[in-house]
Amino acid sequence: MSGHSHADGVLPHEPEKATLEGRNKVLGFWLFLGGETVLFGTLFSVFIALRDQVNGGPTANELFSLTIVAIATLILLTSSLTSVFAIQAMHRNEPKAMVGWLLVTVLFGLAFLGLEIYEFVEYAHEGHTFAASAFSTSFYTLVGFHGGHVAFGILWISLLIWQVLRRGLTVVTAPKIYIAGLYWHFIDVVWVFIFTVVYLMGKVG
Amino acid sequence: MTAEHATAVEQPKKRVKHEGPKKHIIAYIFSLVLTILAFATVITGEVSVNFVYVMLVLMAGVQVFIQMAFWMHMKDRGHLFPIIGILSGVIIVFTMIIMAVYWAWW
Amino acid sequence: MAHGSHAVKRYTGIMDWLTTVDHKKIGILYLLAGGFFFLIGGLEAVLIRIQLWKPLNDFVSPDTFNQLITMHGTTMIFLAVMPVIFGLMNCIVPLQIGARDVAFPFLNALGFWTFFFGGVLLNVSWFLGGAPDAGWTSYVPLASTTFSDGPGVDYYVLGLQISGIGTLLGGINFLVTIINMRAPGMSFMRMPMFTWASFVTSMLILLAFPALTVGLVALMFDRIFEGNFFDPSAGGNIMLWEHIFWIFGHPEVYILILPAFGIISEVVTTFSRKRLFGYSSMVFATVLIGFLGFMVWAHHMFTSGLGPVANALFSIATMLIAVPTGIKVFNWLFTLWGGSIKFTAPMLFAIGFIPTFVMGGVTGVMLAAAPADYQYHDSYFVVAHFHYTIVGGLVSGLFAGVHYWWPKIFGRKLNETLGKTTFWFFIIGFHMTFLIQHFLGLLGMPRRIFTYLDGLGFNEMNLISTIGAMLMGIGVICFVINVFVTSAKPKHATNDPWEDGRTLEWAIASPAPEYNFAQLPLIRGYDAYWKEKREGNKEMQPAEPLGPIHMPSPSILPFFMSVGLFISGFGFIFHQYVVAGIGLAITLGCMFLRSVIEDHGYHIEPEEIQAKGV
Repeated sequence: MSGHSHADGVLPHEPEKATLEGRNKVLGFWLFLGGETVLFGTLFSVFIALRDQVNGGPTANELFSLTIVAIATLILLTSSLTSVFAIQAMHRNEPKAMVGWLLVTVLFGLAFLGLEIYEFVEYAHEGHTFAASAFSTSFYTLVGFHGGHVAFGILWISLLIWQVLRRGLTVVTAPKIYIAGLYWHFIDVVWVFIFTVVYLMGKVG
Repeated sequence: MTAEHATAVEQPKKRVKHEGPKKHIIAYIFSLVLTILAFATVITGEVSVNFVYVMLVLMAGVQVFIQMAFWMHMKDRGHLFPIIGILSGVIIVFTMIIMAVYWAWW
Repeated sequence: MAHGSHAVKRYTGIMDWLTTVDHKKIGILYLLAGGFFFLIGGLEAVLIRIQLWKPLNDFVSPDTFNQLITMHGTTMIFLAVMPVIFGLMNCIVPLQIGARDVAFPFLNALGFWTFFFGGVLLNVSWFLGGAPDAGWTSYVPLASTTFSDGPGVDYYVLGLQISGIGTLLGGINFLVTIINMRAPGMSFMRMPMFTWASFVTSMLILLAFPALTVGLVALMFDRIFEGNFFDPSAGGNIMLWEHIFWIFGHPEVYILILPAFGIISEVVTTFSRKRLFGYSSMVFATVLIGFLGFMVWAHHMFTSGLGPVANALFSIATMLIAVPTGIKVFNWLFTLWGGSIKFTAPMLFAIGFIPTFVMGGVTGVMLAAAPADYQYHDSYFVVAHFHYTIVGGLVSGLFAGVHYWWPKIFGRKLNETLGKTTFWFFIIGFHMTFLIQHFLGLLGMPRRIFTYLDGLGFNEMNLISTIGAMLMGIGVICFVINVFVTSAKPKHATNDPWEDGRTLEWAIASPAPEYNFAQLPLIRGYDAYWKEKREGNKEMQPAEPLGPIHMPSPSILPFFMSVGLFISGFGFIFHQYVVAGIGLAITLGCMFLRSVIEDHGYHIEPEEIQAKGV
């Protein structure tokens, strides 16, 4: 893979896979997501084991408001779609459209995060603090880990937007954007299980 | 030689057609419908708890499958090792869920 | 030499080692650091055995004894043998698959430095507040603040968390390297066994370490932020820690032993001068062991009251692992059978490995029988079992590998006589120490006790065990002397110093040049180098013309990222959250720099390669 050959100015189709470095990055990130699957899976199993242990505090059914969760779900699901559009714009070699879609994704992410912080503050007022019970500890750890991933994703994608604005879309920046897109989808996938297992099942009892 | 030469770029043999947004919008609508169904099951829920659990997990599973296949391109060629990685993770998570449901309190 | 990209700075001296992204140098760093922690862990073992040599001994206090056994186990597993495995993987795997480099040289360096600073954090506990003393498994409630209110267990939690990050990064790096960077013709079913073992081990690391991460986070939240994961008074569940720990912990023992299996396969074939018997069944067995390794964790918890159904399932799954392991043992024996065997030092370790590991495996099957396990549980029988697999098996395997590949890594062959002396002291001392512990366990001596009464029939056996431990210590000292004696000799190892090398690493200079292969080799079959030698070729056939070689540039960022985590770990241990924040900010700042500074590396031009003599 050494050679100096490089056609200047022409960005290949699927620029994220154009170099060995790019292919390594994408594959490495996929494997990392396999590890993340186990990480969230462990958090989920801990939550499932402890979710009825409310220690006299409010139960899931009393606590959760499905309206906020539904709005948050809609926001994150839509942001996953906008990040798909960003990657498609990248494949068409339209950096401006790509940056636009990435910005929309980041804004949706911020909205989601704001909603989650609001939700946590509300719960804390109702006595559902981190140290209240095994249920609350495992709830905040699981949902908080997800929120932390969203926050990291927002910072990461913002940094990438800045890099693309400075340097343009190249075979170096393209793989970074592609894996950030994968990361964002993964966050949405985890959220699907969170709203199912934590909120909806909590409402059922 | 400029710095850009550091990475070798392989040009595609022929022009490739770019896929349109249609599939992805369909996947979005599917996800949306499944989400609404899941919420509706819980809000209207008159049926037994266990039935609702099974329905919820199934709907979440289908939604995640659609998103991974289309949005994360796992259905495309060259994704053997991503599939192996994610699937192995899922198998291990599966055993851990069994642990949490059946063994943690014994 | 007209190219601008040559302006990249190449450091020398200590800065070279701090900034290196060369997998061979990182491998040497891993071997050095792992060797250092191995000596510390070994010293702790000797102190434990001195305390136990006679009844009612007061050589160390009970508290110190608890710290010693905890730190001995933790150090040996996470800071000694794992890094030595990573060291050998770093030095050898890219050479075996015909790659110029690993997939992520920067992450590789980061992996080393996080491991190293995690290990240092764990060990400074001896001087600042007391070492962890809740056992290497750190079971709650013993490890909760109620019963361990000093900072000891916090050191355990944060030290392992930080070094675990490094291990995970290393695992991903090797998976991608092996999948994406194989030379032309090197198909999966032509890969040497050590590479296969490294591949499966890396997969296990990827899937097991996140579970440990969550377990340690939960314990940390319980201890530092008053969480309730493991606090029964607030609804927590202490069994949960055991489950999470062993969901990680059982794959971990296969993470350890599989590379040793790989090493033994390489050494046995080389010195039997025969093709490995049953290569494809070996690959199959390795993958199967990796898979089954995840399905047996609860056999560590038979006596915790899981109930007959769970106990029976895990009992059967555990016994199943004996099948692929048996396949491996028979394949080694059939490889030896009819071979023209050379008894070199690495071969002695490999031959010592086979029966010793089989003994550990047999007691493993005994322990897998759940009803019988109620008798063995928490006795010295268990101690004897896992030392047979991990010391008699794994450490012998690592000694075999280190002796075997030393010339390839350092350019000098270790002294054979001293190597054989090491082997005899080690193996005799080992069996003297641990064979007798089976009987101590069956007589009823519990593990993890700091002393015992006179007149229980334990005295003589403990004395013999302690003498054995001293012999093992002498063996290790022989090895250290060997290292020093050898490093004073000139570097004149040939490409193929054992003369019977079969795999690709023996086709290039010892030590390998920084770009490994001037021209990527063309692989025409399993045992690629052996095949060329059979056909009268002295070298591998090139798969490409001589051209400029792209190299990654060195970087100090991995070092500072790890320093940041180290500082942050201290902040959490002593509840100084500003310090913790500063540490994390350093790490995130370095990540930011890494992302924005575009680094294209540099090229080594053909003239330079030829000047070095290809």
